[in-house]
Amino acid sequence: MITESVEEYLEAIYRLGERGEAATTTSVANELKVAPASATQMLKKLAKQRYLKYTPYRGVYLTPKGKKIGKEILRKHRVMEKFLSILGLPKSRVHKDACELEHHIPDDLERAIHQRVEGEKTLPPGAPSDVVSLTSLLDGQKGVISFIGGGRGASQRLADLGLTPRTEVTVVRSALFRGPLMVSVRGTTLAIGRGVAARVFVRAK
Amino acid sequence: MSTAEKKSITIALAGNANVGKSVIFNYLTGLHQHIGNWPGKTVEKAEGTLHFKGRTIDVLDLPGIYSLSAFSIEERISREYIATEKPDVVVNIVDASALERNLFFTLQLLELETPMIVVLNQVDMAEAKGITIHVPELQKSLGIPVIPTIATRGTGLDKLLNKAVKVAKSKKLARPARYGREIEEKIRRVTKLVKKIPIQYPPRWVAVKLLEGDEEIRKIVGRIDPKIVSSAERHAGDLERIHGEPCSIIITSERYNIANKIARKSQRITPPRGPSLTERLDAMTTHPLVGYPILIGVMLLVLFTVFTIGGYLSGFFEDAMEIIQGAFGGGAGEVIGEGLLGGLIAGIAIVLPFILPFYLILTFLEDSGYLPRAAFMTDSLMHRMGIHGKAFIPFILGYGCNVPACLGCRVMETERERTIAAFVVTLVPCAAVTVVVLGLVGAFVGIHWALALYLLNLVIIFILGKVAFKVLPGEPMGLIMEMPPYRKPHARSVLKETWMRVKDFVYIAFPLIIIGSVVLTGLKVGDLLEPIGDVMSPVTVGWLGLPAITGVLLIFGVLRKELTLVMLATLMGTANFATVLTPTQMIVFAIVVMYYIPCVATIAALVKELRWKKAAYITVFEIAFALLLGGIAFRLLTLV
Repeated sequence: MITESVEEYLEAIYRLGERGEAATTTSVANELKVAPASATQMLKKLAKQRYLKYTPYRGVYLTPKGKKIGKEILRKHRVMEKFLSILGLPKSRVHKDACELEHHIPDDLERAIHQRVEGEKTLPPGAPSDVVSLTSLLDGQKGVISFIGGGRGASQRLADLGLTPRTEVTVVRSALFRGPLMVSVRGTTLAIGRGVAARVFVRAK
Repeated sequence: MSTAEKKSITIALAGNANVGKSVIFNYLTGLHQHIGNWPGKTVEKAEGTLHFKGRTIDVLDLPGIYSLSAFSIEERISREYIATEKPDVVVNIVDASALERNLFFTLQLLELETPMIVVLNQVDMAEAKGITIHVPELQKSLGIPVIPTIATRGTGLDKLLNKAVKVAKSKKLARPARYGREIEEKIRRVTKLVKKIPIQYPPRWVAVKLLEGDEEIRKIVGRIDPKIVSSAERHAGDLERIHGEPCSIIITSERYNIANKIARKSQRITPPRGPSLTERLDAMTTHPLVGYPILIGVMLLVLFTVFTIGGYLSGFFEDAMEIIQGAFGGGAGEVIGEGLLGGLIAGIAIVLPFILPFYLILTFLEDSGYLPRAAFMTDSLMHRMGIHGKAFIPFILGYGCNVPACLGCRVMETERERTIAAFVVTLVPCAAVTVVVLGLVGAFVGIHWALALYLLNLVIIFILGKVAFKVLPGEPMGLIMEMPPYRKPHARSVLKETWMRVKDFVYIAFPLIIIGSVVLTGLKVGDLLEPIGDVMSPVTVGWLGLPAITGVLLIFGVLRKELTLVMLATLMGTANFATVLTPTQMIVFAIVVMYYIPCVATIAALVKELRWKKAAYITVFEIAFALLLGGIAFRLLTLV
């Protein structure tokens, strides 16, 4: 049985990777708002259980096993966030409650909510929920924007340049060294820094 | 004066960046233009006049923006201007090759309900992309006149002027496009409330902005009647519950839907077979392997060109300077001759020769579309200094001269990013500093020590940049920019733009350089240099362990940093510095010169880009930092 706290750690590490940030003891501790000492302890434990590879002072890498769980929990978290905000819950509660629910919601229920939330009924049952961040698309791959997270300034700026929900975007290419993404949208080409792009969520095509 | 007699007309040019707006502006106004700043802002304001059919026409070039959402100062200035100053006609310039995104902006202009025409520019580039636009159809959808043009060739611009004047005279207001039923219903309700209060903006526009949660409009309306704001908030909440998105995003999406519908109805696209030349050029210059060598090549070429041309011009002017200076004698004549004229000629001989080729090349690169590619390639590196890819070019240029580098920081969109970039750039050792470091430390202590100083400098830049990133208030903004297609730069526009920028710089920097020079010469003539050196000795001698004479040198270095070395030789009576300074003193002196203050021309550039207060902060910080670092270095080096 995987405990909630294991799930929380894997989710946080996966989220850091998606944002293009290196996962270290400090960044994981910051992400989870725990003391670095307890993070170190937990990371060692998770390494022993083969969820991740951990070298003190170097960094943390998820194993395929750990990555699978991290990705799943993060996906559930996002689906629940979206669902709760549609229910009209105040912003302050949306994140907190999604953090709770992500550990308890069964896969099939998540899928159902996801499909309802996205207004998409054509997904065959059993297909994985496929909302991913723009940064995880491959060069040349297309996606349809599901939602944009993050600060108001950046999300409005992205929307102003044509990245609005339900718009198709193509990743043209991405720069080396965790550099920006070049995307094409509405007949124009934009460059988007990786940190910004990580908050654009798309359904991959 | 009755309106019928009014002979002068104001035209405001508005549009996205990279649509050929400045080409049209230059064509219309010729040399009768001036660039200043908007009152109280660091945003460029370009105005010009022309005479047309017995009328005086004032043309105002608004900043190139993508939206009126008040994201940046440029956007706020533009909408404020159109809504309150009410130009006689707004000429919206639209890129025919990216119709949908451009129409998104057009739709926002329509909401300001002002007389307006649309100029469909770059129709040739659109055709190269296989896009043909049916003008009458577009005209019908927008409800205002549409004029197709190719500005670079002057095609259609007379027609533009005729139409603009006609619309200005008719005073026919543009009408906003209609949104979906749900949103329209909310807009109608809020508009009804807004109509009851006195406000100089169009009521419907205010209602839309309130629903979008626009901070500025909320404040203005809130001061008159806070109940309207809370009512709009409730309506916005209703929409958010239905759509599950913030209301500003709902409305933005809706606008894009309308833009998309209009674009699809009025354009036909036959995709060309195979990638075009510009697309292949784009793929090459942003290629992970090929792109970087190209980037390095371009940068070297820029530095080489700027300094070859600059060095040549500088030598030429310096000769002229000596001849003129010889004509003045001592006493009061010296203050005027050396101070005033000397300052003027220093400006012409030192700054101008480098600024001119720099601006020319920068404008050329900007116009061709290479700058965004360079930003794309270097974004991740620049992120580590707390800035993003757009600051790369200013950063590299800083190694040549900090002045154009600071001026180049205006490509950063938000005030916050611009401040960090300008700060980082002033820490970069320019060519004058290199002269001191190599001429003193490199020649007399050892080249490895000189290199170590440069390495230390890079480390400091990375650290201080990150610190500035952390401490400055505001939302950090990552890179979000358009990548316009490559195009052939338009020679006349490039030259004119360069000319305007140089002129603008001269106005700001020259007075400062000349005043600085006069003051220093006055001190010299009045024999005040030594007393000042003595006053500074607790710092120079006590804290830094340098000879007292260096105090005077450091003061002169504010004018031009290489002067510190030149004057050291004069005052010491020898160019063999090993006889007058210990190796430790040389290193400490070089460190202080490296950081201690931006030179007076750089300060002028900082004032221009960031205004007085921030320029002062940066200057004071750097003096303190240089002294701290120099003092620490002195103590560490004496330990060794």
